[in-house]
Amino acid sequence: MKARKVSGLDPEAALADNAERIVRVRLDELCGFMPKAADPQEIVALHDMRIAAKRLRYILEITGPCFGPYARTATKMVKDLQDLLGEIHDCDVQVPETERFAERLLAADAAALHESAGDADELDAALIKQAPHTRDHAGLAALQTHLRARRLLLFERFLELWGAYERKGFRARLEYAVGERADVHNLQRR
Amino acid sequence: MAKAEDIDVSPDEPYRRAGARVVRVRTRELFDHAEGVLDTRDIERVHDMRVASRRLRAVLEIFAPCFPQSEFKGVLRDVKQLADALGERRDPDVHIDALRSFSKSLIAANKHGVARLIDDLQERQARANDVLAAELERAEQRGLHGRLLALADAADHDGEPEA
Repeated sequence: MKARKVSGLDPEAALADNAERIVRVRLDELCGFMPKAADPQEIVALHDMRIAAKRLRYILEITGPCFGPYARTATKMVKDLQDLLGEIHDCDVQVPETERFAERLLAADAAALHESAGDADELDAALIKQAPHTRDHAGLAALQTHLRARRLLLFERFLELWGAYERKGFRARLEYAVGERADVHNLQRR
Repeated sequence: MAKAEDIDVSPDEPYRRAGARVVRVRTRELFDHAEGVLDTRDIERVHDMRVASRRLRAVLEIFAPCFPQSEFKGVLRDVKQLADALGERRDPDVHIDALRSFSKSLIAANKHGVARLIDDLQERQARANDVLAAELERAEQRGLHGRLLALADAADHDGEPEA
């Protein structure tokens, strides 16, 4: 996903003023994926939301100390969100990978049985014992089941986490915090 | 996982000066993690370098307007390419690790298929390691480390960066 362009950045201007612009855009990008990403079938939206979370996390990690105290809290929250979305993404990569591998072994076994059948009119069911990968299928089926169940579980956790962020006013509080400037002695609303 | 160095920033300092400092630190972190990264027996090394590459890429993008654009684009492209090679090596590492852990919970009869998949992933890991070795060599030949530091120096200098 290409990052949205941030306008008005000025190398000579204060770091905090530039960082504020970037955070506001990145935060809007992140929140913009909901509610679409709440649909478990929307794998691409969820993947893009993970990238958006990563971008927001990195700008906050570097420039968070420039802002009000909630920016530090938000940095941790965004990291937790990104980590969880990363685990879901791992499942989304590993499920089809495992399926493709299992399919490859099934196809190889079918080809081997076909070869073994020779000129026979009917396939001898007993030949299945000679299939080269006959011992492999059960473990791969167990793995696919595990990965799919784990994905379901992690996705539920994501919905709960995002719901909690909304209840805590994550977006509004971070937007407020980036309008504040940290100071050695106090925090002042500009 | 190696923790990124905390970098002191001040709200009032010029954006470009902060960018120069941050890029220098993240560049050092990237190249500090290069040693032993091709050793597949210790997957944490490639993980640490991959994380460092992602952090460097992120700060380059955050501070992009502070750098001379003609040099910046090539450097960012090279950092992305290195980060991609590290990611391609890291993906099978993660999958293999998870499968080994999962396999422990299986009955003996179900371990075969998982072991077969691990073998397949180890072949992919070896291929990705070759790609990573070539990419590290390429970064060296193209002087990526020096070009990153030159970008930081350019951001540090007074005056407008190149259009």
